[in-house]
Amino acid sequence: MSKRLRIYLTGVGGQGTLTATTLLSRTAMEQGLDVVSGEIHGMAQRGGVVESTVLIGGWHSPAIQQGEADILLGFEALETLRGLHYLAQGGFVLSSTDFVPPPGVNMGRECLPAIDDIKAGVSKVADKAWFLPLQEMGRQAGAVQSGNTALLGALCASGLLPFGPQALREGVRRFLPSKVLEVNLRALELGVGAIR
Amino acid sequence: MNHPLLAAGGAQLLLGNEAIVRGALEAGVNFVTCYPGTPSSEVPDTFRRLAPSGRFSLEYAVNEKVALETAAGAALAGALCLVTMKHVGVNVAADPLLTMTYTGLPGGLVLMSADDPGCHSSQNEQDNRAYARFAGLPCFEPATAQECKDMTRAACLLARETRQPVMLRTTTRVSHLRGPVRFGPLPEPAAIVPFERNPRRFVPVPAVARVRHRALVEALEAVRSEAERSPFNKTGGSGEIGVVASGVSRAYLHDVLLEKGWENAVRVFDLGMSWPLPEKALEIFMRQVKTLLVLEEGEALVEQALNAMAHKLSLPVTIHGKQGPLSVFGEYSTLLIHDALAPLLDKNEPIACGPGCMELPQRPPNLCPGCAHRSVFYATRKLFGDDAYYSSDIGCYTLGLLPPLATADFLFCMGSSISAGSGFARASHKLTVAFIGDSTFFHSGITGLVNAVFNKHNILVVILDNGTTAMTGHQPNPGVDQEVLGDACAQLDIEAVVKGCGVSRVAKARGYNQKAVQELLLSMKDETGVRVLIVEEPCVLYARRTLKKARSQKAYVAAQDESVRVCLETLACPAFRCRSDGDGGVSVDPELCAGCMVCMQLSPSFKAGKGGEQ
Repeated sequence: MSKRLRIYLTGVGGQGTLTATTLLSRTAMEQGLDVVSGEIHGMAQRGGVVESTVLIGGWHSPAIQQGEADILLGFEALETLRGLHYLAQGGFVLSSTDFVPPPGVNMGRECLPAIDDIKAGVSKVADKAWFLPLQEMGRQAGAVQSGNTALLGALCASGLLPFGPQALREGVRRFLPSKVLEVNLRALELGVGAIR
Repeated sequence: MNHPLLAAGGAQLLLGNEAIVRGALEAGVNFVTCYPGTPSSEVPDTFRRLAPSGRFSLEYAVNEKVALETAAGAALAGALCLVTMKHVGVNVAADPLLTMTYTGLPGGLVLMSADDPGCHSSQNEQDNRAYARFAGLPCFEPATAQECKDMTRAACLLARETRQPVMLRTTTRVSHLRGPVRFGPLPEPAAIVPFERNPRRFVPVPAVARVRHRALVEALEAVRSEAERSPFNKTGGSGEIGVVASGVSRAYLHDVLLEKGWENAVRVFDLGMSWPLPEKALEIFMRQVKTLLVLEEGEALVEQALNAMAHKLSLPVTIHGKQGPLSVFGEYSTLLIHDALAPLLDKNEPIACGPGCMELPQRPPNLCPGCAHRSVFYATRKLFGDDAYYSSDIGCYTLGLLPPLATADFLFCMGSSISAGSGFARASHKLTVAFIGDSTFFHSGITGLVNAVFNKHNILVVILDNGTTAMTGHQPNPGVDQEVLGDACAQLDIEAVVKGCGVSRVAKARGYNQKAVQELLLSMKDETGVRVLIVEEPCVLYARRTLKKARSQKAYVAAQDESVRVCLETLACPAFRCRSDGDGGVSVDPELCAGCMVCMQLSPSFKAGKGGEQ
C-alpha cells in the first residue's frame, strides 16, 4: 500500500505518549513501511504538553503543520482540542475522554471545556471521531497507563492504517517489556472491541 | 555486551541522536566527552548505556570548555574523539576551539553542536554554522536518521584523515526525530595515532600561530574539493527554478515537492556537507537556473555566500532567501517553504489549513510536586518579597520565575547567577540573591564565586543542591553520591569547595525544612559580603528512580480554612486541587503528592496520612 499518512499525537508529560509513539512507529517499520517520527518535549516531564508525530509512506519531515494531519490521536481530551488545528479538514480523530487538569484549573482560575464541547469542536473538522474512556479501559486491562495501547488498538482496527490489529499485537510482543505484555495485549483488544 | 546498537548489520528505527552514536562507533570512536544539554543529551546518555562494551571511554565533563579540551588532549595523543553539547555550550568551548583548528588534532575530533531554532529548550536560537566559518571547521548537517549515522561516520573519518576538527551540526528536530537506519559494518575501535612531539605546531606562540593560520586555510581548501564530490551534496530535478537547501529544510522541501507533485518543476541542490561550500558545483547549479531559492534556518549564511558568488561571477540569477515567509526567526516548515516556493512557480493554490488555535487553559512547565526548589523559593519570596532581586541560572529552578514564586529577575547563561548578581548588587545597592544548582555550580558558578570573594561583593548565594543534573535527565556531575557514581568518578563536597573558594559565611539546610531555610535566609539577609546557603534535598524524581527513596506518606486537608487557601495561592504545589463545586475547598491529589510535607509546615490544617483521607 503506497498510502501516505500523517499522524499527530498529543498528550501530557508522564502519560506515556512517547512510548506509544515509538511503538506505533516500530510496528509500521516492521510492516515494511517507510516511517519517520518526531517529538517535541522540551520540559514535558514537568507537566507540559507532549506533541509527537508518526509519518508513514515516504515523508522525510518529522514535523506536522496546521491542517496537515490525516489522523489526530489525543491521549488527553483537552490536548485533543488544542491539537485540532493540526488536523486536515475531513481527517480522523481518536481521543481519550479523560482530562489531566492543567495548573490553572487546579488553582480554580480556569475551567476545563466540557467533553461535549470538545466533541462538537472535533466534529466540525473531522470526518469521523472516536472518543474512548482510556483510563477506565486501562484499569480494566490491569494498569491505567495501558489505556494508551487501547487507543493504538482502536486506531489499528479503524481501517485507517495500512495495517491492522494483528501487526500491533506483534509489535507489542516484540517491543514492550515482558512484564507489561499481558496488560497491554488486553488493553489492545479492548481498544479493538471499542470501535467495532 | 548485547545491545541493538552494536548489531552487526540490519536496519533499526533510531532517534537521530542514537544514530549519531552508531555512526561514531562505525568510525571506531575511542573517546567521547560531553556536557549534557537539550537536544544533545541522548548522545552521551546512549554511549553511557554502551560503555560496558569497552569500545570507548566516556566522560561527562563539568562544562563544555573542559569537555572539548579533554577530548582535544586525547586527540593529540591519537584517539578518535567525539564531543557533544548544545549550541550555547559551544560559546563556552569557543576559546580552545578557535585555536585547535590552528594546531590540528592528529587523532581526529568531531564536535557535535545541537542547535535549537525556535528555542524549544534554550535561552537563544544562535546558529552555530557561524562557528564552522569562524573557527574553520568542515560542517555536516544531517536531515534524516540515516544521515545522522552516515554523516557522523563521515565526519569522524574526515577528522582522522585531515587531522583537523570537524563539526556535526544538528537541530532539535533532527536530534529528536526517529527514522530507519541501515547499519554498516562495525569495526574495531580506531588505531591510536602516536604523538609526535612538535612544539612548532602544537604550541601556538605568535610565531607558530601565524604559520598555523595559513595551514588551516590550506587545509580547508583541500576539504573544499572533498565537499565538491561529497555524496551528501547532490542535485536532482529539472527546470529553471533552483532550490539550495540545507539542514532539516531539505526534508521539508522533499515533502512539499512530493505532496504537490512538483518534483520535476524545480532543480534541487541538497547541501548536506555545508562547509566549506562546494563552490564549483554551486556555480554549475546556478548557471542552470534563472531563479534560486535558498533554504536555511537561522542566519542567511549560504544566501550571502551565493549572492557574493553570483555577483563576482556575474551570473544572471535572481536569488531569494530570507524574505517573505522565510526569516531568521524560529524554525522552517513545509508550510513556510510551500509559501516561499509557490509564487516562484506561479502556483497560488492555497495549502490546506486547519481551524485556528483556541484559547484554552495552558500547561506551562512547572516544578514537580515535592520539588525542594519550590520550598526554597516560597521561603525566599515570603521573607524578602520584592525588596530583593533574584539572579537566576540554568536548570529546573529557572521555573522559579513563574508566579506565585516569582524568584527570577534576570538570567543570561550557565553560571551567570553569581557573577551577574554580584554586579547587580554593586550597582544597585539592593539585596541580591543568586540561585544556582549543583551541576551549574560546578559548570561555571565556581569562577563567579571566587570573583565575588576576591572583589568583595555583597551577594547571597543559594546553592540548590538536588544531587543530580535534573533538567537534562539525571546525568552524573561532581556533586552526585559516590554510590551512584561508581568507581569511575569521585564525588566532590560542595561545602568544601565553597570554603576553599574563600567564603567564610557558609550554612547548610534541608530543602524541606522550612524553619531552617527561613532562619538562615533571615540571618544572612542583613549580613555583608559573600554568604552561601547550601540547600540539600534530592530531586524528587531522582530520589524515586535512582535512590529508590520514595516517601510513603501523603498530605491531606483536615480542615478547610484560610491558611489552606493561602497555602494554595503562595506555595501553589501542583498536587493541590481547588474543588470545582464552588465552595473554594482545597484537596491534595494523593497520586501526585510526593510526601514532602512542606504544606504541613505552612498550615496546621494539612495533615500527614497514607493517602485517601479527605
